[in-house]
Amino acid sequence: MNEPASPGRDRLDAELERIWGNPRGWRALSVVNHSVLGLRFMGTALVFFLIGGILAMLMRTQLAMPDQRLLDAEFYNQAFTMHGTVMMFLFAVPMLEGLAVYLIPKMIGARDLVFPRLSAFGYWCYLFGGLILISSLFLGLAPNTGWFMYTPLSSTVHTPGSNSDFWLLGVTFIEISAVSTAIELVVSILRSRTAGMSLDRMPLFAWYILGMSLMIVAGFPPLILGSILLELERAAGLPFFDVARGGDPVLWQHLFWLFGHPEVYIIFLPAAGIVSTLIPVFAQRPIVGYRWVVLSIITTGFLSFSLWVHHMFTIGIPHLAQAFFSAASMLVAIPTAIQVFAWLATLWTGKPVLRLPMLWLIGFLVVFVAGGLTGVMLALVPFNWQVHDTHFVVAHMHYVLVGGMFFPLVAGLYYWLPHVSGRMPSEQLGRWGFWLTFIGFNLTFLIMHWTGLLGMPRRVYTYEAGLGWDLPNLVSSIGGFVMAIGIATVLLDIALHFRFGRVALRNPWHADSLEWATGTPPRAYNFASQPDCTTRHPLWEHPDLPDGIAEGKHWLANAGHGRRETLGTDPVSGSVREIMRLPGNSWLPLVIALGLAVMFIALLARSYPIAALAALASVALMLRWSWVNGLHPALYDESGAFPAGALPLHPHTFDGPGLWGMGVTLLANASLFLSLLFGWFYLWTVAPLWQAPATSPLPATTLLIAALPLTAATLWIRRIVTRLRNGTAAHLQVQLWGIAVLGVAYIAVLVQVLIAAPLSPTRTAHDAVIAVFLGYLLLHAALACVLAALQALRVRRGYVGHHAPYETVIVEKWWSYTLLTFWLTYGCVVLFPAGWGGS
Amino acid sequence: MLAPSHPLQLALGLIVWSVWFVALYGGLSIGCALAPPDADLGARTWLNGLLAALTAMTAAWLVWQLRRCWRAARSRTDDAPNRRFITILSAGIYAVAAVSTLVIGIPVLGLPPCP
Amino acid sequence: MFIVAALVLLAVVGLWVRALYRPPPDHDETTQRRIGRRWIIGGGIIVPGISIVILLAFGIPLGHRMLPLPVPGEAPLKIEVTALQWRWDIRYPDHGIVSTNRLVIPAGRTIDFHVGSADVIHSFWIPRLGGKIDAIPGRINVLRLRADQPGQYRGQCAEFCGAGHAHMVLAVEALDAAAFDTWVEKQTP
Ligand code: HEM
Ligand SMILES: [Cu+2]
Ligand SMILES: [Cu+2]
Repeated sequence: MNEPASPGRDRLDAELERIWGNPRGWRALSVVNHSVLGLRFMGTALVFFLIGGILAMLMRTQLAMPDQRLLDAEFYNQAFTMHGTVMMFLFAVPMLEGLAVYLIPKMIGARDLVFPRLSAFGYWCYLFGGLILISSLFLGLAPNTGWFMYTPLSSTVHTPGSNSDFWLLGVTFIEISAVSTAIELVVSILRSRTAGMSLDRMPLFAWYILGMSLMIVAGFPPLILGSILLELERAAGLPFFDVARGGDPVLWQHLFWLFGHPEVYIIFLPAAGIVSTLIPVFAQRPIVGYRWVVLSIITTGFLSFSLWVHHMFTIGIPHLAQAFFSAASMLVAIPTAIQVFAWLATLWTGKPVLRLPMLWLIGFLVVFVAGGLTGVMLALVPFNWQVHDTHFVVAHMHYVLVGGMFFPLVAGLYYWLPHVSGRMPSEQLGRWGFWLTFIGFNLTFLIMHWTGLLGMPRRVYTYEAGLGWDLPNLVSSIGGFVMAIGIATVLLDIALHFRFGRVALRNPWHADSLEWATGTPPRAYNFASQPDCTTRHPLWEHPDLPDGIAEGKHWLANAGHGRRETLGTDPVSGSVREIMRLPGNSWLPLVIALGLAVMFIALLARSYPIAALAALASVALMLRWSWVNGLHPALYDESGAFPAGALPLHPHTFDGPGLWGMGVTLLANASLFLSLLFGWFYLWTVAPLWQAPATSPLPATTLLIAALPLTAATLWIRRIVTRLRNGTAAHLQVQLWGIAVLGVAYIAVLVQVLIAAPLSPTRTAHDAVIAVFLGYLLLHAALACVLAALQALRVRRGYVGHHAPYETVIVEKWWSYTLLTFWLTYGCVVLFPAGWGGS
Repeated sequence: MLAPSHPLQLALGLIVWSVWFVALYGGLSIGCALAPPDADLGARTWLNGLLAALTAMTAAWLVWQLRRCWRAARSRTDDAPNRRFITILSAGIYAVAAVSTLVIGIPVLGLPPCP
Repeated sequence: MFIVAALVLLAVVGLWVRALYRPPPDHDETTQRRIGRRWIIGGGIIVPGISIVILLAFGIPLGHRMLPLPVPGEAPLKIEVTALQWRWDIRYPDHGIVSTNRLVIPAGRTIDFHVGSADVIHSFWIPRLGGKIDAIPGRINVLRLRADQPGQYRGQCAEFCGAGHAHMVLAVEALDAAAFDTWVEKQTP
């Protein structure tokens, strides 16, 4: 808005606009810009929220009175399953990730996220996965066994239709999106903060998003594995969860809740990040206890992985084990309490102003603290035995989810609206919306605690009259409609503001963080030059920073090379290390996501040849995607107007964003592998009818022979990297071909083992798990070979070499991981049973 | 050994704590599956003893690390602010990990392992 | 417990509201820091820490006493419950009695329910008598309950188990000792 114009500034803007600008029309589908994609994520999540809300209203109407016949059992079951699934997977996580995608680069002073095509890919996977899932409602085949899909109810015997398949495949598709976006956020936060933004100067919101993303990376893979196993059981008859053949349905519960409990905090952390961002702004002082808050984030991230069994207190595990989880569940309340009191102390010592977003934050506090208190009660084992799976739990979880996520989200939406639209929301209509929602919410759910204590189980589509449940249910239903009207008012307010809102001044809330240093609405490149960050509160201490940025007085105010650039900095100190060249708009993310959608639909329809074709095509396109990287001419330009001797471009370094991306990906991969190991040992010790043969069906010596080429190839590529570090790259291409060939030899032996071993994966869970292990090893080996071969080709093109070692380092990591998982598998699947004595 | 201001310190305390937690729960489950001690013995069994020893050792290591980071934070005040930030925060992480270990581990002293 | 929770909620919200409407304070930076630290350590660590210790010290032994451990004196009555879609099969192994969807128990006597499932996961629950336990295929879980008063109770499946879940109800009748013995005699031919 109203910035003074100057000729130099206009030229810079025009140049950057030419490089970064978003195309319109149908080409907009190829956009990879984070602002656009963040808004798409949020808009789509809003639509899914409305669908989930309609399902909730249908359920509340059905439950308003006893013995209603509005919905039948089958539809009610689909409705609550889809409501829970939509709210958790299609609304809460993508909405918050979308907000992060929109805000994070701006807050850390960067021009875009570091893997722009991945943002687009994540969005399309989310959209298509969501559409597949929602379509099941219209086909009358929606999942109907609850959002935690307990087996054996969800297995083929008890759910012969494809209802469960829609859930397993659709949710897995969406999780691909969640994980890839999380990887991208982690790397961006760690490696692309603007100059001088050291860890201790990072905005708290970035800490929260870092925590959330790492939790997604570690927490989603157990469920992805569980879904793969359950889908294998349904489609191919591998009996992981079938007691009679040596499986155990409780394994599913472990895998699900290993994901499911962290999920709750994955939703809460970014919402708390919104609170920690807004409170200091409205109190007009820095947050009290920055370090305490960071400590709480890290603590929450870890502790929340040790609580999962509190969802399983009634399955009959040792009471001592229940005591561990009970204590851990209560401990996790402490970091939350610390944050609540840090916010309180900030308000206490500041000069708070009560604007509309603040109102929603107060609503958040009331509702969330109440939910937290009932949560502590639920962690108490004897109390849990009483109210588990009743409406008390429904009430508790809505207090936590709506209070801990929805209220802060609306506060955040109101707060950042001017950033997106350049206009201010109205205070009048907004207050109506708040009070209606707040009163309606409490009317619905406060009394529902009572309904639960009266003994009403959850997930019943109707109930008899005369049990004392009639009145509280009626009140809940009325409250539900009041809340719906409230939310409609909020949406109306937001819609109207785009047209009638007052034009916003620059930095309208007088905030401290860098996102308000962009224009409102922002340009595609956020900053004409990337600012120096010398403090935790850049805009409070340097109110004129936005002018300097726009005039190109800071970093990278130079666009003659015509490529997208952003700074790469040290993860700890924030000192500038290199310049990252980012890829531009591309159709590949959309096309690959479409390919995967075809694959998932084909899997649903059980036409496996088509699924295989679609998968192969998608992989081929992904390789094409990876081709445009590093020194590819689309990114690299030697004649560029870049001053010699200054910062290196990232392909010339050993430690570019790609390496970090690979590292975080391997973290997710390791979480999946560890879950598989857990499943193996779990079944081995606990499954009631576990059947292990006297000797392992895997030939120990043949596998050792397989290990030879694999180990040799990995050592070889590590040697190449060492030599690259020393500046020599002789015969690089030949060596890479050699590595690929060794990999093929390894695969050949492994396939031979798979064929020759006396495995009958459909007869025992023991053999089924082994088959999954072998499949895992094969997939990793195949990818390792392809990557090595592709490197060789890139060496030939001159994209890789001693002048550009960046990619080889990444490929080496994949090989090392492949080797590590091989030996772990060998130890656990071949050596461990032998040591056990085959008993 | 990792320097007190190494960024990995921000996670190490709680990583060790996680490993301990897995060992605690896994050890209990495997112990009860293989050789469940007699329920009449109450909490005075070999399994409880083993788990208690593990807990005590983990907690001791965490406290020792806590002391190390804490001392480094107090003595090296001329470190770059972002390094000192990490050191202080790491001390906090070790404190949290040690307390969590003790609180979660205490039931081992009073409850029989398997029923 | 609920009263304490309500008080805590009121206290926290009250403090926040007071912080919002207080006349803006006029402290220097160090005082502000001290106040902040006091709030965080006092409200964020000490108070919840103490509450947690109290809750655990009270809750864990309580849960322990509810476990089906061996007891001195009269042995608990053993009743086997098999849950299946969508009914309850009850068996009294000591008396050779079987019944469906109807459970008769002696009041004032401890009972161990041995709960299993023939198909999917269900959960055995008589709300007014105590906690619940899941019925899981492949396992037998034991739940100890006791009805102090004779009377009619209502049991209901508490784990979602498919289309008939809402109607998976168990009629429970607690009889005094003498009446229970007569009932047993009438059932056994
Ligand atoms: C932020 C928004 C919300 C989230 C994240 C959310 C989440 C959930 C979840 C996870 C479940 C569990 C589903 C299951 O048991 O399988 C659930 C159930 C339910 N929710 Fe929501 N919900 C939200 C809003 C609402 C609203 C606004 C209402 C009604 C006014 C509502 C009413 C219900 C009802 C009636 C159930 C079904 C309980 C049952 O049959 O067991 N929810 N919700
Ligand atoms: Cu939980
Ligand atoms: Cu049921």
